Amino acid sequence: MSVLVLKDISYQYEGTKKSVLKNINVAFERRKVYTIVGKSGAGKSTLLSLISGLDVCVKGEILYEGTSLKALDRDDYRAKSIGVIFQSFNLLTNATAVENILLSMNISGSKIKDKKAFAYELLEKVGIDREKAGRKILKLSGGEQQRVGIARALSHNPDVIIADEPTGNLDRDTEADVLKVLTSLAHDEGKCVIIVTHSRKVTSIADEIWGINDGKLLLMH
Amino acid sequence: MYILQNAFHNILRNRGRNILLGAIIFVIIIASVVALMINNTTKGIIDDYKSRFSSAVTIIPNMERMRDEAMKNSSGGRMRIMAPVIPSEQYVEFGNSDYLYDAVYRASTGLNSDNIMAIDAKLGGGGSTTGTIVSGGTMSTPTSYMFSLQGNRFEDFDEGLRDLAEGSMPKNKNECIISSDIAELNGISVGDIISFTSELAYKGETFTDTTYIETYYELTVVGIYYDATDEYNPGGQQNAYTNRRNEILTNYETVVAQMQPGLSGINITATYYVENPDMIDAFAEELYAKGLDPIFDVTTDETSYNKIVGPVEGLKNISISFMIIVMIFGGIIIALLSSIAIRERKYEIGVLRAMGMKKHKVALSLWSEILIITCLCLVLGLGIGTLVAQPITNLLLVQQIEAAESVASTAGFSGGMMMGSVVNPVANSSAQPLENIDIALGFNTILEIIGIALLLASFAGLVSISKITKYEPIKILMERN
Repeated sequence: MSVLVLKDISYQYEGTKKSVLKNINVAFERRKVYTIVGKSGAGKSTLLSLISGLDVCVKGEILYEGTSLKALDRDDYRAKSIGVIFQSFNLLTNATAVENILLSMNISGSKIKDKKAFAYELLEKVGIDREKAGRKILKLSGGEQQRVGIARALSHNPDVIIADEPTGNLDRDTEADVLKVLTSLAHDEGKCVIIVTHSRKVTSIADEIWGINDGKLLLMH
Repeated sequence: MYILQNAFHNILRNRGRNILLGAIIFVIIIASVVALMINNTTKGIIDDYKSRFSSAVTIIPNMERMRDEAMKNSSGGRMRIMAPVIPSEQYVEFGNSDYLYDAVYRASTGLNSDNIMAIDAKLGGGGSTTGTIVSGGTMSTPTSYMFSLQGNRFEDFDEGLRDLAEGSMPKNKNECIISSDIAELNGISVGDIISFTSELAYKGETFTDTTYIETYYELTVVGIYYDATDEYNPGGQQNAYTNRRNEILTNYETVVAQMQPGLSGINITATYYVENPDMIDAFAEELYAKGLDPIFDVTTDETSYNKIVGPVEGLKNISISFMIIVMIFGGIIIALLSSIAIRERKYEIGVLRAMGMKKHKVALSLWSEILIITCLCLVLGLGIGTLVAQPITNLLLVQQIEAAESVASTAGFSGGMMMGSVVNPVANSSAQPLENIDIALGFNTILEIIGIALLLASFAGLVSISKITKYEPIKILMERN
């Protein structure tokens, strides 16, 4: 059964008549890595905003585990079911890396007993050592901040992981490590991973590649 | 729990802004602590004095009205200023009122004796008229008395200035006690009977119409008292009549027994104690309805009250006004700061909302931050406020006393010819203003301050919360990106 189904989704920005997304129909399954490609401004990030419950479509509906997002508490959905890796990180800049992870776990109501140890473990997994984990976000490089963002997206063990250009700020080695983590999450841990990217390297790990063109979502591979 | 933890961390993360916010809250709290401490302490004092001064009501002639009345009846440049006589029965009748919880009657008259020598007799006697007769520049000479008969004036015994040396206090009619000085001078013992004469005057329509009727008092000495009061009132006339050793103390009934309708010569005063100061007007109306001459005022000792409590009331008003001003301006500044702070933290709120934190939890987190800051300020404000409240009170009180004295001295030089004087028996002209107030931090004051602090925190929190509800995370993050 598909974990996430987009049914006839359309979207247009407030005050405009042109639809950014037109009648999109797609089903995302667990254990798969999806990449969505397209030109800048094609609507890739908008699609991710709709999937992550940050925005609401004007037409159609999104089903999570068979239930429409309209019927779900979108805050709970974001906190527990979805992990979002933002292109611009969107971390709490005056907090430390580990505090960002802990806060995400707390918001989701994580039942893990030693949250701090788990947070350090996650950060280590994406290449942030203990010393850096205790630094404030602004004291970390762009790549390090991106890794903290990835760790935060994984912190509450969501079913669906959505990533907007997750490796855009990373060096080659780290990019490879992160992609390995994302692939492993899908294939080994049964998550559904959806990645918006321009990178060929990222598309190379995808099980399905989708492209957005003129507001339509098309299966490319 | 994590909301509280996060709030603690956020306070430390945004030190600069929070120190500014804390400083304003601290100023408001410290002003409130001082103002409420002054207000609550002075309120107790004022209530106490109000019940003491405002509940004791007396009847005194209104000098202005007496003068007007005398002018109307004057002929050939002569006029008589005198109060009508209220019969003793009427005083008692007035005392039968539902508004009162007590009534105290006192009476006095002048006495002479052929057999008993007065203390300081060589200084001559004095008068006890209730009015002054003015007659085109000359004044009539009233009868001189060597002794005074005082009915129901035993307050010096309560104050420890007089004490019974032997015998007992007068209980029955025509019993009296005398000072040990008179007793020794005249060889009087307990059980002796002493005789006095007095006079009642019938004052006709004109000055020359006055006729006198002699009255007699035959009193049994039931006690002799030691007298430690001042022999003479400071600055007063000194003669046998004004010498307090020559006071023959008896009960009210003995003095007024000689009273006759329409005749003057016995001074009666009654002090009525109303159940509640608010009932004074109703009681006055009742007295006029019962036949009290409109020339009389039904009054309380406002002068003494104002002299003693006026500066305290001024202090109370200043402190409360100051607190209100600080709260209004502080509140405006807090609202502005909160509004600015929330704009600065818009991105943080967007991130938290994107992470799935509910609006009410974000609001609770912000409110917790302000509450923690307020609590810290509360502890500091209570401590420092308690320390500075007393010196501030002393300083303000001194200023208030000086201001009150300055007003009083200005009022005292109003000019004009003094036509006579009628003394309010409950008025205490020597009343001194309260010069020291011990300011204390009571439980109620603490509760009020906590209430104000919570109100401040909630107000600041409301400003933040009202902003948060307008923010959509996607818009905040898109704006930022």
